[in-house]
Amino acid sequence: MTSADHQATHDAVKHSQRHEGPQKHIIVFIFSIILTAIAFAAVIAGGVNTAFTVLFLLLMAIIQVLVQMGYWMHLKDRGHMMPIIFMIGGFFVAGTAIVTALYWVWW
Amino acid sequence: MAHAHSVKRHKGLMDWLTTVDHKKIAILYLLAGGLFFGIGGIEAVLIRLQLIKPMNDFVSAQTFNELITMHGTTMIFLGVMPVIFALMNAVIPLQIGARDVAFPFLNSLGFWTFLFGGLLLNLSWIMGGAPDAGWTSYTPLSTTTYSTTHGVDFYTVGLQIAGLGTLIGGINFLATIITMRAPGMSFMRMPMFTWTSFITSAMILFAFPAITVGLVLLSFDRILGANFFEVSNGGNPVLWQHIFWIFGHPEVYILILPAFGVISEVIPTFARKRLFGYSSMVFATILIAFLGFMVWAHHMFTTGLGPVANALFSIATMLIAVPTGIKIFNWLFTMWGGQIRFTSPNLFAIGFIPTFVMGGVTGVMLASAPADFQFHDTYFVVAHFHYVIVGGLVSGLLSGLHYWWPKMFGRMLNESLGKLSFWFFIIGFHLTFFVQHFLGLMGMQRRVFTYLPNQGFDTLNMVSTVGAILMGIGILFFLINAIVTAFKPKGVADDPWEDGRTLEWAIPSPPPEYNFKQIPLVRGIDALWKEKMAGNKGMTPAEPLGPIHMPSPTILPFVMSVGIFIAGLGFMFSKEDFSNSFMSLIFNNWIVVIIGLLITFGSMLLRSLYDDHGWHIEVEELDEEGVKA
Repeated sequence: MTSADHQATHDAVKHSQRHEGPQKHIIVFIFSIILTAIAFAAVIAGGVNTAFTVLFLLLMAIIQVLVQMGYWMHLKDRGHMMPIIFMIGGFFVAGTAIVTALYWVWW
Repeated sequence: MAHAHSVKRHKGLMDWLTTVDHKKIAILYLLAGGLFFGIGGIEAVLIRLQLIKPMNDFVSAQTFNELITMHGTTMIFLGVMPVIFALMNAVIPLQIGARDVAFPFLNSLGFWTFLFGGLLLNLSWIMGGAPDAGWTSYTPLSTTTYSTTHGVDFYTVGLQIAGLGTLIGGINFLATIITMRAPGMSFMRMPMFTWTSFITSAMILFAFPAITVGLVLLSFDRILGANFFEVSNGGNPVLWQHIFWIFGHPEVYILILPAFGVISEVIPTFARKRLFGYSSMVFATILIAFLGFMVWAHHMFTTGLGPVANALFSIATMLIAVPTGIKIFNWLFTMWGGQIRFTSPNLFAIGFIPTFVMGGVTGVMLASAPADFQFHDTYFVVAHFHYVIVGGLVSGLLSGLHYWWPKMFGRMLNESLGKLSFWFFIIGFHLTFFVQHFLGLMGMQRRVFTYLPNQGFDTLNMVSTVGAILMGIGILFFLINAIVTAFKPKGVADDPWEDGRTLEWAIPSPPPEYNFKQIPLVRGIDALWKEKMAGNKGMTPAEPLGPIHMPSPTILPFVMSVGIFIAGLGFMFSKEDFSNSFMSLIFNNWIVVIIGLLITFGSMLLRSLYDDHGWHIEVEELDEEGVKA
């Protein structure tokens, strides 16, 4: 990315933010709170069985992370290709290491 | 018009302690790396002197263990890593047409944490014994059960602090290369050295957290009585091997990729041809980095992972030969039909190719799991990794140092001395390590402090030691060369090799502190060469002449590192029984650790609270300095 491009993306980010305004962020904020509330509710309610609750919590957590990354860390905006590439790379490397270590060290 | 800030200019030692200029930090890295390289080299010569004849008693078994451990650790973490960072610091901002790295403050912090980590590790020699569990520090050998001195504590804490510096440096170069390239320099127009350094930095980012975690676990086991690797309490020693090699294997590619980059710069320059297969070189570099994370268990074939795991890791390892082979052929095709000049940097680069191929071939042999059961922990392995690290990486670094020396210091190294050091180095190197393949195949184990006579080891070990001394003489010639050159007047041309292709050769040697008076416009790969071929005198500027914003020098990174050093030392001795009651008071109650951390966090607080906007070099000052517009 040249500095000219950089400037362009910078403007684009500013531009899109101006159009979105605080509205979208408030909606996302409420959505995050609802996700958290659902997770708490699932534990309080007890659910069908523990395994289901755990999986459900994990699902909520993943959605929560994606929402946070996309909106609050601006990964959905233009000019964030590098952070996304590096995060996927990091997940891939750490994932391989953890899965293999679990599989070969403990089983 | 920007408002001028006054800046306090430091002189002498203070200038070096406070500098945030990437070119000065490069020289600091080179000096520190050179110091540790020297220490590691002396250790190597002592090891070879001990092994010169059977049943030798030059050093004791314990000292020998300390020597091999410190030789490996020092060379990898404190010797070649900083020299790589020296070249990256000296060259990358210039090659991408930038005025500095993205975070000059962090650059300085990275250097000082590395230096204090390295000093802490080497303090072990005079503070009760160096680490003695091998550079891999395998558990349970490195746990308190078998290693009762503070040696391994120096290893864990020292490497932790030094590793912090490396991680900081890696992130800094990622940010620099992503955000600070000159207009027109797309990713696929970046010089190869910048590309390989970029990939190396990414690998540092992904690999170093693994060793950080491993060192935390090991130091907690040793100092705080945790049980991560303690079998009797449910720990698992093999876990350490996994964690170490998840870091350790990418680490060896972190080391070799910048050398590949250097060779890819030197060979085209002295063949007067563009690099053959540039895009395949980029692709091969990325592929090597990717595969580098998938092969760590090939260091562990004999731990009993089972045939499926061994087969998979075997195949993954052999796959790496493909992108590496692509690189080798590209270098050969670059030289093919070129007007080759055998200057000292080019000699090292050309010597690199066959030497590295030999190391690569033994690598593929070792990748075969069944054969590895024979090779494992013999001198065959020692020969293999010295071929890739010394014959490959160190040759590459020496090539790069000879090549960029005029750019870094403004003085040409003496060509005759350079050639002399090359011939001593390469002949000594092959004498030392070629015979070690056969020692290994005959059954000599690595890390043994002596051996019995009449097993066929005697002559080959003698040859190996003689080679090591020749190699040492080669390095001494390089040192003499550097010292002699330092006394010559400055004043080499911008492009002293006359065939420079990349942006660093478009500016004075050494460059002014702002590097580029005007950021250049890049119109193609090998930006300077393109302008030369178009008949232009220099680069086309991409911006009008204006005041240049500069970062302020600061002592804070140095102070922060001192704080971490004190905290590390306090942590290591927190459970020690001191005869002196004052020492017990300050160490056993964590007072030293707290003081160290207060220094570090206090400096961070200062850095956060006081905004430093830097300063400007005005247009009039630029003109006064008489740099060409």
